[in-house]
Amino acid sequence: MGKKRAIILNTAIIFSFILVSLRLTDLMIVNHKRLAERAKQQHVKVEDIQVRRGIIFDRQGRDLALNLDLESLYCDPEKLAADNDDIKRLASVVEKEPAFILSKIPHEGRFAWIERKLKPETAEKIKGLDIEGLAFLTEAKRIYPRRELASHILGFVGVDNQALEGIELKYDKYLKTMGGKVFLQRDASGRRISSGVDMEAKGNNIVLTIDEVLQRILEKELDKAMAQWRAAAATAIMMNPYTGDILALANRPAYDPNRGGEARDAEKRNRAITDCYEPGSTFKIVIGVGSLEEKLAKPGTLFDVSRGSIDAGGKTIRDVHKYGVINFQEVIQKSSNVGSIMVGMKLGRERLYKYAKLLGVGEKTGIDLPGEVSGWIYPPERWSGTSMGAIPIGQEVAVTPLQILRAYSVVANGGFLVRPHVVSEILSPDGQAIVSFKDADKTRVISAKTAGIFKDILKTVVEEGGTGKSASVGGNKVAGKTGTAQMINPVTKRYSKEKYVSSFVGFVPADNPKLAMIVVVYEPKGQIYGGVVAAPVFSEIANQALSYLNVPREDDMELSHLTVYR
Amino acid sequence: MGRYDKCLLLVTALLVGFGALMIYSSTSVITPVLAKKNITEFYYFKRHLFTIVIGFIFLFFAYYKLKPSYLKKIALPLLIVSFILLILVYLPGIGVTAGGASRWIRLWPSTFQPSELVKLSMVIFLARYMSMPEYRTDSIKSFIIPVLIMGVFQAAIMKQPDFGAVMSLAFLTFAMLFLSGIKLRYIASLSVFAIPIIIKLAMEPYRLKRITCFLDPWKEPQGCGFQLAQSFIALGSGGLTGIGLGSSKQKLSYLPESHTDFIFSIIGEEFGFIGVIIVIGLFLVVFIKGISIANRAKDRFVYYLATGLSLMIALQALINFAVATGLVPTKGLPLPFISYGGSSLLVNMVAIGMLLNISKGEDVSGSYNNREMITRKMARRKIGTGKWRIEGAAQYQSHRDYRSPSHLLR
Repeated sequence: MGKKRAIILNTAIIFSFILVSLRLTDLMIVNHKRLAERAKQQHVKVEDIQVRRGIIFDRQGRDLALNLDLESLYCDPEKLAADNDDIKRLASVVEKEPAFILSKIPHEGRFAWIERKLKPETAEKIKGLDIEGLAFLTEAKRIYPRRELASHILGFVGVDNQALEGIELKYDKYLKTMGGKVFLQRDASGRRISSGVDMEAKGNNIVLTIDEVLQRILEKELDKAMAQWRAAAATAIMMNPYTGDILALANRPAYDPNRGGEARDAEKRNRAITDCYEPGSTFKIVIGVGSLEEKLAKPGTLFDVSRGSIDAGGKTIRDVHKYGVINFQEVIQKSSNVGSIMVGMKLGRERLYKYAKLLGVGEKTGIDLPGEVSGWIYPPERWSGTSMGAIPIGQEVAVTPLQILRAYSVVANGGFLVRPHVVSEILSPDGQAIVSFKDADKTRVISAKTAGIFKDILKTVVEEGGTGKSASVGGNKVAGKTGTAQMINPVTKRYSKEKYVSSFVGFVPADNPKLAMIVVVYEPKGQIYGGVVAAPVFSEIANQALSYLNVPREDDMELSHLTVYR
Repeated sequence: MGRYDKCLLLVTALLVGFGALMIYSSTSVITPVLAKKNITEFYYFKRHLFTIVIGFIFLFFAYYKLKPSYLKKIALPLLIVSFILLILVYLPGIGVTAGGASRWIRLWPSTFQPSELVKLSMVIFLARYMSMPEYRTDSIKSFIIPVLIMGVFQAAIMKQPDFGAVMSLAFLTFAMLFLSGIKLRYIASLSVFAIPIIIKLAMEPYRLKRITCFLDPWKEPQGCGFQLAQSFIALGSGGLTGIGLGSSKQKLSYLPESHTDFIFSIIGEEFGFIGVIIVIGLFLVVFIKGISIANRAKDRFVYYLATGLSLMIALQALINFAVATGLVPTKGLPLPFISYGGSSLLVNMVAIGMLLNISKGEDVSGSYNNREMITRKMARRKIGTGKWRIEGAAQYQSHRDYRSPSHLLR
């Protein structure tokens, strides 16, 4: 009997060993593929390559947007061992309510962000709390070291480095190299174990046409004008009229892209390209250039504006002063509305519309910034009876400041419509140019002769007797035009008596322009005229810009010749 | 005579050596949490090597000093000492609590787990008890006493709690009682104790679910089936030949207890089906060697002792395999000789030392049992004479409850 029991027991045990082996055969041989696949699923994690966004440089290689490594706090809810005191202490370190922290901790899953991109000292303090289940990941935070400077050009990114505005948005696909995925090993808590791949692909760097110094000058003067005229908003754009390179572009109000998420909509608006306004007298370039090109007028052609008013479709348009009999040049110089409407009538609807279009009115300029609007000008068949009294003097049309600047650049550069742009080059991380926008994209729209004549007329605007005298710059001739337009009251749909848009657009030095610039001040208080409000801003900026650019003064021509032959 | 079983020693050494390799493989990954505790890649490995050295010292001590005759004397005191140690676990300052369980007592420079010693003490005690002349296989008293002792130990261990140890102690005790030839209905009658357990499970289904989870771990691979599902993934991804030493992914904190209770799965992942079959084979060799040593025993105590020690090792290995492969509910139990954990290794090394001692066959326990066996031998020799035959038969009859080693009855 004892032997029998021993045999039974030993057999049972040996049989159990065999059973285990059979089970192992099933698990390891029969189900090998299925389980190995499952293993791979949990060990390997597909991740988008976290791209280190490219750096944005100004034209001189100064960095305007770069990256900083910061630590982000996350928790593994399963491992989290924090009591209420821990939560309270954590909350006080990150300066949030304990309830806020608790709301970030989910009941399921193994990963949840608590607070992203912490300041180094805050991260150190949290590490000091030594709470089980909290951990850090290093993330690259986008930094805009010059804060508000060029904020409307640069734009900004969100907390996940997703592009939201400006160049960041427009050139997003270049700033982060495209669509990469990387396979990573991970452990049970999702941490990366290893990878043979460079985890952080670098995005391409972008070189802007912007010059930080010019941008700074422009913004400083814009701030002054905002304060002086207690204006609602202001815009200024400086451009190379030959190439379309935007040298500086700013709007007020502005925002700090480092905290772009907190900025109000009004601050984020890039008025230079997204806001339309009725240009007023700066629009007289259309009838001016049109009538010259069509040979309907010469600078000396006389117009009798002695009545000081003109009737157009039953509506009377008046001049500010009565000028008597003046020639074509003086119509522009003194910005006579009556004279301009007379020129416009001579030109006719069709040609007026044609030249407006040729100069880029109602068309997107094609600038490489997001959100540009086209503005509008009605085609002639939709004009009303009073349109002839409005359009020649810049009413019933909507333009962006950049469109007007581009139109004046046509005169500055001898007849070419350029495509404005803010990016000059895209460089790969190792410095190779991938894309270059240095070749100007331009089309001839008017003859060089017309451009030359109209330029001379524009010079007189800034001379004694012109409306834009205060735009003049010591040592160099300025050509330009003032503009004063009533804003339309959105409630009454009528022209407002208080709200004006004052502008000045021009280029300098007039005969060999280094820069074209428009200054637009919205709702100035106390003064309304472009020649009073905007022209001095132009003068201030241009003065400093020319000296920064080492543009020789025309009254020092001998000196400049010496420079040439050195 | 005087020749120990070299094969058993060799196989043991192989298992221990392989265990050390696997400990290194499964603990050399340093997570940030461990790094914070200043745990280096060699931390567990070094400690395990130290335990192995102590283990071999214990093995040789047992081999030279723990003769069956001596063990017989200390069987009961050892059992009492084990129980006291088991109680000390709850004493503050001596007991060590970790992970919600109080299983250890402080023992400089480390800790000791008395529940491991209990298994060994129980084997020695049962061997002693079942070889006593008073032990009758048809007496309920002879059955109740060891079962009660087992119950007391189980209650103490249950409180730690260490359900795996409770179960393995039960398996071991019943296997030995079964071997002694005790009436099957005694064992069967214990099933009445299952009734309250069944009622409790029926009333609290979540407990039942935790137990039955092993039947389909994929149903809740993130819940109660997590550990088993991870074990399956480890074994399954190993395939026939494994993914290579040190390449386990499952040890990267996917598979909990990968260096202790679930080290078998990591072996499967790294060395494949071939690797685990070799490990199973080595344990089978240990068991068969142990049984053959038992079968050469000259008296009942030695026979029961050798069988009990073999069963102790084999049952633990089996339960560990069965848990890792999902054949039984998931309960923590170390794999003898291989898992990290000093107490288990030391106890099993002592067991091997004892088996090696027995294999020398020098010592007989020198008691009445022995005399009785000699008498029976004589009876077989003198089988021709009717008187002896009758005498022998009568004697056999009178001691029919004394089950002698099977080979003696051939």
